[in-house]
Amino acid sequence: MGGLLEAIVDILSSESTYINGALFAAFLAFAASGELVAERAGTLNISVEAMLLTGAFTAAVGYHVTESFPLALLLGVVGGMIIAGVQAEMSHRLSADQFVVGLTLNILVLGLTGFLDNEIEPETKLAGRWDIPLLSDIPLVGQALFGQRWPFYLLYVLVPFTWWLLFRTRWGLEIRSVGENPQSADVSGIDVNKRRRQSIYYAGATSGLGGAFLIFGQIGLFEDSIVGGRGFIAIAAVIFGGWTLRGTIAGCIIFAGALSFRLSVQGLGYEVNSELLQSLPFLVTLIGMAIFAHRVRAPRALAQPFVRGLK
Amino acid sequence: MSSPGSLGHSGQDHGGTGSVEPVPAVAFNNITKTFGAVTACDGVDLSVHRGRIHGVLGENGAGKSTLMKMLIGLVLPDSGSIAIDGTTQHIQSPLAAASLGIGMVHQHFSLVDALTVWENVALGEAGKLDPDAVRNRIGDIADQYGLMIDPDAQVGSLSAGLRQRVEIIKCLRRDPNIVIFDEPTSVLTPDESVQLFESLRHVVAAEGRAVVLVSHKLDEVLHATDDITIMRQGKVVDRLEAATADAPTLARGMVGREVSLRSERAALGVLDVSADPSDSAAKPSNPNDSAPVLRIQNATARGIGGVALLDDLSIELRAGEIVGVAGVEGNGQRELGDLLSSLLSLQSGTVSIDGVQVPDGKSGAMARAGIGVIPEDRHDSGIVLDMSLAENLVLVDQSAVARRGFIDGSALRDFAEKMIDEFAIQCSGPDAPMWSLSGGNQQRVVLARELSQQPKVLVAAQPTRGLDVGAIEYMGQRLEAAAEAGVAVLLISSELEEILDLAHRIVVMNSGRIVGEVDRADANLESLGLMMGGANA
Repeated sequence: MGGLLEAIVDILSSESTYINGALFAAFLAFAASGELVAERAGTLNISVEAMLLTGAFTAAVGYHVTESFPLALLLGVVGGMIIAGVQAEMSHRLSADQFVVGLTLNILVLGLTGFLDNEIEPETKLAGRWDIPLLSDIPLVGQALFGQRWPFYLLYVLVPFTWWLLFRTRWGLEIRSVGENPQSADVSGIDVNKRRRQSIYYAGATSGLGGAFLIFGQIGLFEDSIVGGRGFIAIAAVIFGGWTLRGTIAGCIIFAGALSFRLSVQGLGYEVNSELLQSLPFLVTLIGMAIFAHRVRAPRALAQPFVRGLK
Repeated sequence: MSSPGSLGHSGQDHGGTGSVEPVPAVAFNNITKTFGAVTACDGVDLSVHRGRIHGVLGENGAGKSTLMKMLIGLVLPDSGSIAIDGTTQHIQSPLAAASLGIGMVHQHFSLVDALTVWENVALGEAGKLDPDAVRNRIGDIADQYGLMIDPDAQVGSLSAGLRQRVEIIKCLRRDPNIVIFDEPTSVLTPDESVQLFESLRHVVAAEGRAVVLVSHKLDEVLHATDDITIMRQGKVVDRLEAATADAPTLARGMVGREVSLRSERAALGVLDVSADPSDSAAKPSNPNDSAPVLRIQNATARGIGGVALLDDLSIELRAGEIVGVAGVEGNGQRELGDLLSSLLSLQSGTVSIDGVQVPDGKSGAMARAGIGVIPEDRHDSGIVLDMSLAENLVLVDQSAVARRGFIDGSALRDFAEKMIDEFAIQCSGPDAPMWSLSGGNQQRVVLARELSQQPKVLVAAQPTRGLDVGAIEYMGQRLEAAAEAGVAVLLISSELEEILDLAHRIVVMNSGRIVGEVDRADANLESLGLMMGGANA
């Protein structure tokens, strides 16, 4: 037992645990911010995985072609929004089942990016590291929060922006109303399905940006396995967070902590079955959901398609 | 002036404008709308004038709501036209209606519980969101019309009366010329209804707006309006002035024949409920003092966030009596029905039948113990529309028609035919799909199924909602017959008239609690209204 405790202390006092944790959390938070907006609008958008992967791929190709980080990031956003377009138009204009569409997209994109990656073999590299003066010198967490590659800092703008958008603008008010009571919103003169499509586009944009961040802020090159199911963890973070922005970010941090813990265990040379470790973040996600999912109030019309006309 | 009962002429010489015919604020011209095989509106002509309250009276399904939905752009007419202030308009959406100055106070549908009052009021407008401006405007309207409200309260936490107040403010904020009220009193206590009609009159008088009041309650249309249009089966059958109209005329127009039965009068809302209880003297207020069949003791159930759905609720029901559960909708009546359908688990408290405790929330346990339920929403939980009539009759229990786990087709047919006969269900036969039946006949199927189980307790939750007068009357007779046969009947209804008509004993619910209990003979509208509003008896 002593050995276990020692290992945990060892991991918690290692700076790399926090640096990796921040990177993982940021990646989840890019996607989860947009997913939160989509779910508040009442659409359970499960194609986040596809959005992240497409965003990463188009960003990688974008850099390969333009050798410009800003342009590549922008292309990442566009990539995410292309998937959003399919998801939104199929499920909230043509009334196809949102889960079937999302599931199909996730599988399709996995194959497609793998194929195109082999064809194009995009050459990419990491973006430059920015150390924020003074703040990056804070012990233990300074480097993690303020010593990252510059795409990381986009999150510091994105999260407050998402909050402002959702809770301080008319658009946000309408988004929240269509997720709660679409009939009422319709009667009040709001185009419910249009708002839902827009919310998915927003999720596509932030997820695409998250994919681009993964390439330029963390890994440096594209592979078809880089997202590896974490889109679903982002969805879990939104649910875990009780559909609030604060809770969602907290969920991202907790789940990212589990991912980072796994990495540190191996990095510091502890012998643990690696398959078992692989499953740790997902196990934490499941347990988190089991504890919190029934205590929170979901948007009332979540995952219910809207058809006009009163009941 | 048009004479009462004159048919087909709008005769609109109002307010002494002499020979000049004023342009109506709203004119429906020959409007027809069909939904599948059902003709909701059939060549309807209707004119509404400024400075007047126009009552549109009709039974459920008469087409009055469909007509109003066309006016606010939720439904498009198949043929005919709508003119606003003399100009023909194609109203394609609620937003288009709003820009024409048409506002509607909806029965249920336009508020979002999770948002605050001011957010709800701001919903559906355009431009930058300015919370303070909205709050100030709410304050102005509140002062002007006497509709006090806290702009930062969450709508879900408000009482039905206050929610409707928000709805009215939301409508008036856009300063509409034409205001439609859709069944506005269905969620209000009698007291709140009186208040509503006072502010309604104020809204009309102050700015010369045109107001349309849609209702199936004869009494309120007679007292609150200036002009009355009666609709039946999608057609306008009569136009008259409220000042010269009387209840029997209106009732005849609505139903299409003389109305005399007490239960019919109750269904139309013309029952003088304070009247002498000798009428109900035939019903012993307490059939016997035997041990209760159903006993619910201290039932408490909480929802998400600890909201009390049922709060220390106790009810006893004896064989042969009808106990009415009155109350404004949303005060735990649905949960009480759910509890007795095994859909709700209790945090504390017990339910017992004949002294034997029944486990709560355990699927099917209540039904096995002898509780039959006519559920509140028959489409949601009463029947399966795509299955046949016969299949629906045995949904709960197949033992009568099954052999060794297989359903015996001919036994099923025989059983279904017997039920069709006994309950006079109008249909093409046992194999008729459920959706091909009218609402009243669907409800008869539910009733037949539940009574064929020979229950000890029958729970009837809003059993006549959405039915026409004939079907309402039949339901009342059946419930009374069941009680006479020794079934303990729990009648949960938001129609006070219905409860006063049928029940021997009345309990009133508020916020998940029983706040009062009276014998029918001692009941009067005023004290019931007070209790429904939350005052303790």
